[in-house]
Amino acid sequence: MELAGSGKSDGARMGIKMSQELVVVAISVILFIVFSATLNNFLSQGNIIAILKNVSILGTLAVGMGFIVVGRGIDLTMVAVMVVGVAFSIWISTWGVDFTLAVVCGALLAAAIGLFTGIMVAIAEIPPIFATLAIASSVYGSGRIVFASDVLYAPSNIAWLKFIGSGTILGIPMVVVIFGAVAALMGFFLRKTRFGRLVYATGDNPNAARTTGLPTRPIIVTQYVLSALIAFTAGIIMLGLVTGIDTRLYNSSLIYDVLLVVVLGGIGLSGGQGGVRNVIVGTILVGILTNGMTILNFSYTSQNLIKSVILLGALAIDAIINPRDEQTSQSGDI
Amino acid sequence: MSDANIIELRNATKAFSRIPAFKNVNFDLRKGEIHALLGENGAGKSTLTKVMAGVFKLTEGKMTFDGKDVSFSTPAEALRAGIAMVFQETNLVPAMTVAQNLYLGEEKMFNRLRGLYIQARQFLAGMGFQVDPTAQVSTLGAAHKQMVEIARAVHHKARVIIFDEPTATLTPEEKSHFFNLLQRLVKEGIAIIFISHALEEALAVADRITVMRDGEIVASGDAKGFTRATIVQAMVGRTLTETLHGEVKRTARPYGDKVLSVENLSCAGLVRNSSFSVFSGQVTGMFGLVGAGRTEMAKVVAGLLKRNIFHGGEIRLLGKSVRYRVPRPAVRDGIVYVTEDRKFDGFFETMTAGENLQMGELTEGANPVSMVSLARARQLAREWGERLSLRQISDRARMIELSGGNQQKVVIAKSLIQKPKLVIFDEPTRGVDVGAIVEIHQLIGDLADQGMAVVVISSYLPEILAVSDRILVVKRGRVVEEMMLSEATEERVMFAAVH
Repeated sequence: MELAGSGKSDGARMGIKMSQELVVVAISVILFIVFSATLNNFLSQGNIIAILKNVSILGTLAVGMGFIVVGRGIDLTMVAVMVVGVAFSIWISTWGVDFTLAVVCGALLAAAIGLFTGIMVAIAEIPPIFATLAIASSVYGSGRIVFASDVLYAPSNIAWLKFIGSGTILGIPMVVVIFGAVAALMGFFLRKTRFGRLVYATGDNPNAARTTGLPTRPIIVTQYVLSALIAFTAGIIMLGLVTGIDTRLYNSSLIYDVLLVVVLGGIGLSGGQGGVRNVIVGTILVGILTNGMTILNFSYTSQNLIKSVILLGALAIDAIINPRDEQTSQSGDI
Repeated sequence: MSDANIIELRNATKAFSRIPAFKNVNFDLRKGEIHALLGENGAGKSTLTKVMAGVFKLTEGKMTFDGKDVSFSTPAEALRAGIAMVFQETNLVPAMTVAQNLYLGEEKMFNRLRGLYIQARQFLAGMGFQVDPTAQVSTLGAAHKQMVEIARAVHHKARVIIFDEPTATLTPEEKSHFFNLLQRLVKEGIAIIFISHALEEALAVADRITVMRDGEIVASGDAKGFTRATIVQAMVGRTLTETLHGEVKRTARPYGDKVLSVENLSCAGLVRNSSFSVFSGQVTGMFGLVGAGRTEMAKVVAGLLKRNIFHGGEIRLLGKSVRYRVPRPAVRDGIVYVTEDRKFDGFFETMTAGENLQMGELTEGANPVSMVSLARARQLAREWGERLSLRQISDRARMIELSGGNQQKVVIAKSLIQKPKLVIFDEPTRGVDVGAIVEIHQLIGDLADQGMAVVVISSYLPEILAVSDRILVVKRGRVVEEMMLSEATEERVMFAAVH
């Protein structure tokens, strides 16, 4: 009875995985060509840079979300942490605190929220979707009460913030460099470090991780702290680009765009699979799509509708490709 | 096709991702007979019956029911046709009452509970079952749950009822009641298949017996034509008779240091004031019926029970008092638990064998380096692959694609990499092919020879007798008897476990 594990079905599985990624890349290329050919302004230098800049906020958030999803969680607090963390920094800087120090304080606040979320998920064992949904509203609600205004502007004389917004390194916009750095760091973390392997293990089978004696709770808590810090980083990118933060962004569909990127890129919601490469692929597709629709003058509502339908389709495909429990459980026991 | 047969399987094969659970099986069930299906763990009995009950579909071959070709896609379809299956773990809804379970799925739009109870009471009384229809199923014992399952099958006008190990959790009195019941069902023209590990039951009750081994039928015929010896021979084949049935006399290994001592341990209702010790250089077997509390004792020791239901007692590891609330410190201190349900908490299914082994290495007791490499995972897979003769594992095959035997070996290797002082194997050969069973038993012996303290929990008596130097018998949450290998016989151990 040793017929198991020959290379063939392994190859077939990889084939499915690969093709999911390849399909996304192919669709991106096709969309890019179609938009370039049909839309006047699409291929202009200004527009390409606009795509890249827009994508860097979404992509940075998606790196954090992808990191959580690999560990079989979900973090709906990201947008709330982003807007409240950054708004908090601006708010305390208006008291006369040095802006850089204020940003550090904002990062600490974000980390503290992440720590709280992690404890709720890992130790109180609240399912992450509910825990993060509730914490997101609480964080946003507290922020609105404290800050008293919806839009907060950064001081205009901060050199490093201007550099993030409009500076370049080797001709690449700084915001894209930051997104790339976050993604590269996360990729290294996930693939090469013990911590990264433990995240995959926890996502693959939390019970086995626990029984094996892995520190599952500290892993989960650390994950949420890191994703909160990544959300804060995305907020700083946004602050650099538009010099202010609109806390009402929490009410937009941004968090669903982030999920769309993660699922579309091919990170299974059942955990333990995928990586930063999937996030990048998903980010590019969603970036091109959004930009094209904006140039085509689609209304905000119809854009959301289209993206929701795509998200639903991607989730359905994910459920078929990466089934949790039922189907996989039949093949192990003879 | 003969009129006497209600179910026929011809050249039937069922494979899970190309691993056949059984192949080319021809099987007949006659009308109104009791047919015992015997075989070792993993022989394919459960899968064979699950195909008949519509849980799985045949990969190849055909099945006829009452003269017509059938292929059920769901258990509900099979039930409608007249084949009911009573599973090992019952399929009742615990939060509902007996009557609600009985009529589950056929509730009227406006459901009157009182009418339901009256109807159920009459129905149960008609079958001679003394079960209160208003009782919640979760409050019933194993025997009563089984009665409800049977009543449900009869209510659905089943013409074939399949039982998967119906007697494993029953007391002797309940068993005799159960067998009387089977006779009554047969008188009503219902054909019965029951899977069992207990050969005496099969010989006493069944009209015909079929024995499976490695997914094939190796013997089939009238029960009168079989004896215990011929069944055992058919079940285990030639390879196992020596190691599993003690024909080669072993001498027990001597006592080493006392590694673990448990005193007056209690937790929830599962473990009651239990005391025992485990010594190094020796295999301690823990035998008991399903639900006796063996697994729970092991899990308390290894820190695996999720909620704090510890009700007192003391656990000493090498003389030092310990109390683990999560497995991590237990693993660090050298206690590892090899799970009975490897799918649930044994391995990481999307990872390769090597990556699984690496997870063992990354725990604190072993070698928690902060940088990892795939090369190391492959190296571990090669090293342990040789040591445990893992066969045909490609570097990239995911765990889920391996056979049960290989999966189990990887789970064991993952634990051994953690450099344990005490290894607890819970049902180490469940769902494992015969060749791997022998190898795993040898490995367990080798570990004891190397001076490790080993505990083997098993519900399979021959396994306990084959590997243990000392046997602890567990009954109702307590270690009730301790015997050395030389004093142990199947009869003695079983006697202690059931009475």
